[in-house]
Amino acid sequence: MILVDLALTFGVLSLIAFGGMPSVMPEMQRLVVDVKGWTTHAEFIQLFAIAQAAPGPNVLIVSLIGWRAAGLAGAVVALLAVCAPAAVLAWWVADLWERFKDSPWRGAVQRAIAPLVVALTLSGGYVLCTPTTPDWRLWAIAAGAATAMLALRINPLWLLAAGGAAGALLLQ
Amino acid sequence: MQVAPPRTLTELFTGFLAIGARSFGGVMPWAYRTMVEERRWLTQADFAETVGLCQFLPGPNIGNASIVLGKRWFGVSGAVVAFLGLMALPFVLVMALGMLYAEWAPNPTVRAIVTGVGATGAGLFIGTALKLGRALVRKPAALVLVAACFLAVGVARWSLLIVMPLAIVLGVFLARRDWL
Repeated sequence: MILVDLALTFGVLSLIAFGGMPSVMPEMQRLVVDVKGWTTHAEFIQLFAIAQAAPGPNVLIVSLIGWRAAGLAGAVVALLAVCAPAAVLAWWVADLWERFKDSPWRGAVQRAIAPLVVALTLSGGYVLCTPTTPDWRLWAIAAGAATAMLALRINPLWLLAAGGAAGALLLQ
Repeated sequence: MQVAPPRTLTELFTGFLAIGARSFGGVMPWAYRTMVEERRWLTQADFAETVGLCQFLPGPNIGNASIVLGKRWFGVSGAVVAFLGLMALPFVLVMALGMLYAEWAPNPTVRAIVTGVGATGAGLFIGTALKLGRALVRKPAALVLVAACFLAVGVARWSLLIVMPLAIVLGVFLARRDWL
């Protein structure tokens, strides 16, 4: 049953998405494209683009994947599945976290997770712009965006627009 | 600055609706603007602490923030209302855009533009990683860990379910020895 499959797949991603959704993009792409075959590599980056360009949390890419796999019900199930387990955890941990404010273990865990989040976010970017074989044009657009983001303080929406224009010029 | 939590569930709902509807290009700045500056539900320090917790927790950060804050103010119903308020409009918009795109996808120009936007989003991830990574530059052990995880997950495409537990155990071990 595909809805159950969607719920389980995104439910697991929910619980390992330390630092937010960018961390699990490599795993999400691996599961959705390579393991389950719900989208192709090329479609995955396009759905990601739509979720980035629309307002709201970028987690909504899972609704687009769910919709591709199983229609509107798939979209709703995927979104709830990626949010609910983490939400339940947040519910319980919020109090616990406060209580362990001064514990050395809390600091150790925080410091341990920091490099992991950096590596996974970096992997997410790399995997997205390397769909199958390396494509210098996608790398060039991504490098330009990363540089512009670090150098300029502007709304990322402008960068997305510029990237769309670059895509129209380079990718046809 | 005088702050007061939302008085009714309706207020909570419209507040999160306003965050979701306006948050082009990133949600957190709009969450800050809505809750701290406009509605004055919580102080800047309180906001920073809540976001810090939600960034540490797994799952979508802003989704977790809506649960944590909704729970704090109104219990279960608050958590549900805040989450629905946050997601309602963006969900409808994303689905509409997705359907529109499905219609236009056969057009090569449209596909090229959307793929360009996607590559830009990928670049924003890379930029974010570099920004976060600046804090680690003076810690060789952290840089080795970053490189190893990137090679395992990004290049070799190993499952996160294998890499993550290993990396966390190793990370805690190093952090307890003050190497991280």
